[in-house]
Amino acid sequence: MPRAIRGVLVECDPSIKSIIVKIDSEEHAYIVEELDDQTLVIKENMMSMLKARLEDALKETQQPADDSGSD
Amino acid sequence: MSKPLPLTDLDLWVHPNSKRQKDQALSLLSRLHIVTITAPSREEPQVVSLTKNFRSALQLALTGGGDHQSFGVPSSDVVEDVDLGLLDDYARTQWEGILHYVVNSVGDGMRHDSGGPTEAVKDLLQAGNLVTKGRHANSGITQAGFSFLLQEVNAQVWTLLLLWIENAEKMEMDNVDVLSFLFMLGSLELGRAYNTTTLTESQQRMLGHLVDFGLVYIPPSTSTQFFPTRLATTLTSDASALRSVSAGFDAATSAATGTKGFIIIETNYRLYAYTSSPLQIAVLSLFTKLSTRYPNMVAGRVTRDSIRQAISQGITSDQIISYLSTHAHPQLLKASAAQGGGPVLPPTVVDQIRLWQIENERMKATPGFLFRDFENQKEYEGCSRYADEIGVLIWKNDAKRMFFVTRHEQLRDYIKSRKVK
Repeated sequence: MPRAIRGVLVECDPSIKSIIVKIDSEEHAYIVEELDDQTLVIKENMMSMLKARLEDALKETQQPADDSGSD
Repeated sequence: MSKPLPLTDLDLWVHPNSKRQKDQALSLLSRLHIVTITAPSREEPQVVSLTKNFRSALQLALTGGGDHQSFGVPSSDVVEDVDLGLLDDYARTQWEGILHYVVNSVGDGMRHDSGGPTEAVKDLLQAGNLVTKGRHANSGITQAGFSFLLQEVNAQVWTLLLLWIENAEKMEMDNVDVLSFLFMLGSLELGRAYNTTTLTESQQRMLGHLVDFGLVYIPPSTSTQFFPTRLATTLTSDASALRSVSAGFDAATSAATGTKGFIIIETNYRLYAYTSSPLQIAVLSLFTKLSTRYPNMVAGRVTRDSIRQAISQGITSDQIISYLSTHAHPQLLKASAAQGGGPVLPPTVVDQIRLWQIENERMKATPGFLFRDFENQKEYEGCSRYADEIGVLIWKNDAKRMFFVTRHEQLRDYIKSRKVK
């Protein structure tokens, strides 16, 4: 008998996916199922938490682009 | 269609190549409870039939029988001095009052009018999370409020009305009543007087709210008549009519602001807006870094930060682009026409705004259901093909025998019916 699992399908770049996996490896609270390189299923109620964590992780690694220019 | 129709007969009507479209249509109709499809069983074939209520109401509407007053009762009395101009004026003032109230919460107090919407409307905006009452005396705008502002007028009206329907029970109204009244309103004719005396008591109460929204005008001299405004009569028009109708409304609103299009945006992301309307300036400031303000224009730049900020507040790049192009200055339109109908906005700017959005959206999330643990390949294939046919499949992996769908109800029934066979 097939099973149905509620969740959120997340499609992203492999690089982002590996960050998500890294975040999840600490407490295993987010990922329901890793599907392939670019897709995974996340618990529905943890989605906003994960977004915030991902944002934080990206902030550390990224340089803000230069945005100067006269008006 | 009075008798149930066997599904196999229906299949004969449909070209085999279009099975997918047929299944999607059927699935939609049954979700709307317009048709019912009997559960599959071994003894009897599946049949499809119209639901009872829908069938009788449709027959009534087609034959024009009954006294349901679906199309309103026109008033025979001649009314003095109510013309289209007055109605448009009234609708515009009421509606802009509401928009101003929403914008005001961000607009750095650019405008503090004593006017504005009534308390009932304010409560509604709050209930719908378009604005929140902050710690300060002033209220704050929310994400939903931002995207509300950037919508077309017609979409805005519907958003507000949907809120109204959702909250109807709190105001001691029946939401079915409200809905049927709205549909009636949509079929009325602009500039014509209708009788209020034939309305039920609850409908009369609704009329009061609609006056607040600017959908309906009641002349001060005669309270037994009401006039639908342009906002009301365009409620149920279809997409193509919508465009011309909203253009008509824009024409009505432009009387206050001067010109229709007022935004010039250059390839170097500089933006000039020839307007003095606080509403439009406030909307622009949602996604532009405004630097200079003159009596009749504001100047600023679209920057990565300003777009980022807008996106973090829930505005999409498409909304921004469509806002810019619908309000583009005639000069931009002329330039694009001179190039043989090229794009109105500079392509570099449009692309960059999209790129800025993608930068932030690193993942695409779709809520739904993952199906797994199929017993064999055949079962998996059958189910995933069915999911694809009814248009709910968004991801699948044949090797792992898993797929992801947005809705599971029909699929569940389908899996059950397979078990029966």
